[in-house]
Amino acid sequence: MERQAVTVQPVSETCADDALVSAARDGDRRAFGLLYQHYARMVHGILLCRVPPRDVDDLVQEVFLLALRQLHSLRDISRFGAWLGTITRNRANDYYRRSHSAERQMEPGAEEQAESRTNDHVVEQEAAMTLAVLRTLPETYRESLTLRLVEGMTGPEIAARMGLTHGSVRVNLHRGMQMLREKLAEKARGAGQNTGQRMREQKQVSEHE
Amino acid sequence: MSESKRDPSMKDGYLWDGSGEPDPEVQKLENTLGRYRHAQPAPDFDQLAAEQLARPRWNFAGFRFSFQLAAVAAVLLIGVTTFIVFRARQTGDPGAAWEIARIEGTPRVGWHSLGVNAGTAKLKVGQTLVTDNSSRASITLEETGRIEVDPASRLRVIASGPNRKRLSLERGTIHATIWAPPGEFVVDTPSAVAVDLGCVYTLHVDGSGAGLLRTTMGWVGFKLKDHESFIPAGAVCATRPKVGPGTPYLEDASASFRDALTKFDFSNTTPQERNALLGILLADARKVDALTLWHLLSRVSDADRPTVYDRLAALAPPPKDVTREGILRLDQKMLDSWWNSLGYGDVYLWHLYERTWSER
Repeated sequence: MERQAVTVQPVSETCADDALVSAARDGDRRAFGLLYQHYARMVHGILLCRVPPRDVDDLVQEVFLLALRQLHSLRDISRFGAWLGTITRNRANDYYRRSHSAERQMEPGAEEQAESRTNDHVVEQEAAMTLAVLRTLPETYRESLTLRLVEGMTGPEIAARMGLTHGSVRVNLHRGMQMLREKLAEKARGAGQNTGQRMREQKQVSEHE
Repeated sequence: MSESKRDPSMKDGYLWDGSGEPDPEVQKLENTLGRYRHAQPAPDFDQLAAEQLARPRWNFAGFRFSFQLAAVAAVLLIGVTTFIVFRARQTGDPGAAWEIARIEGTPRVGWHSLGVNAGTAKLKVGQTLVTDNSSRASITLEETGRIEVDPASRLRVIASGPNRKRLSLERGTIHATIWAPPGEFVVDTPSAVAVDLGCVYTLHVDGSGAGLLRTTMGWVGFKLKDHESFIPAGAVCATRPKVGPGTPYLEDASASFRDALTKFDFSNTTPQERNALLGILLADARKVDALTLWHLLSRVSDADRPTVYDRLAALAPPPKDVTREGILRLDQKMLDSWWNSLGYGDVYLWHLYERTWSER
């Protein structure tokens, strides 16, 4: 199996980020563009935990535009990541309020499950199913794992970007991975039982015929 | 997938930072899920910002400067400025108005009723939205949030300035979905202030002024003077006049746990009864009830704190930078660090709110 590229950005970059936030707050659009490059995967990952994949890219742009407008309200520039993360979660909440206000909100992962049922391509189907299972994990685990497994961020990078301690991210990744393994194994067992049941039914039908 | 329970140290290095022996399971998941990875290049923020700021421009072709015109413009400018200043002083800065929409019945703002064909109306600073037993309404403020107001409620707008939105729920129930940055939206109740820290929540206030806050997403801070509670998704917190917010707990906690907590927070109890209640809480606490035990650390007596520490440390081990001694003397940094490790939300956001708003 190929080794996936995991991009490592040193924690010392967070100091550079402070300078970028400061410059962006003073109206430097290039600095804000660099912040986008540093934080877009975090925002993308947080959104992917909550909203259907097809809408995530548009929402990423909306989140950054909202951040650009609200940047003046950020007092402690060293907490840009935590602040941006909260804006992102709020925007995801808003997504459901706007798009499903009149109808019942879909259960997390329901859309991906529906997608996976109609998707012909086996690999895409597996990806959609895995993402659906990932989205059923508790919020803390699901965010850290999405950033690690989907966005390819390292643990130290997740901690630096989100303003969390290494210890808590490490625990989240470890426990989340354990829970994901269990859920995927459970799903595989369920799928195996269903296949067996279908085969038995087909056999009975053919014997009857 | 292979066995579910493995040695935590095994191959964890690869999951942590991609180092060490690759974990085939993690690699498989990376390959499978990698298709969803972010790949959108940075938009041109200069252009986007310019588009946002674009305004129709006047054509100054043929315009010739004259001292008369400049004098008239100056007089007009002074007149308009004076008018605006006087008006603002008379009425106070009204700030942005919330847009009201009737959901059912006939909600009221002052003498103005919103009937079936009323469309939308505005709720300004100082005004109160009142719903009777059969009315419901919603209020929305762009870039702040949307609030549904249940029957038999009174909701007043206290402030609506930039970065500071404050409502007062005098009685009734509201369901708030807030997308403003954390700490910018607060709701006063007769017994505590609810501070949005990025969330969806329901707040109820009864006729006596007692309240109940239930968080659906994100987390909320609940405060009266120095008495603070943090309520993450799935948790509930009651509040009482003159006492303030009680200890938050998860809704699926056992009945005995909830009952003991209510008595612990709000009943007049003897030291012996209080000790017995604490015993029930510690014995019944599950791993997820670390939320409640963390709050209890600063609510129990010095003599009881070591017992609470030990139970909490057993359920949710503290991070490396937290020591037993530090927690027993209620070191704020260590309490914050332990809270952050529980994964409910970054306490920095709470301190941001405290710096932004004046104390109640």
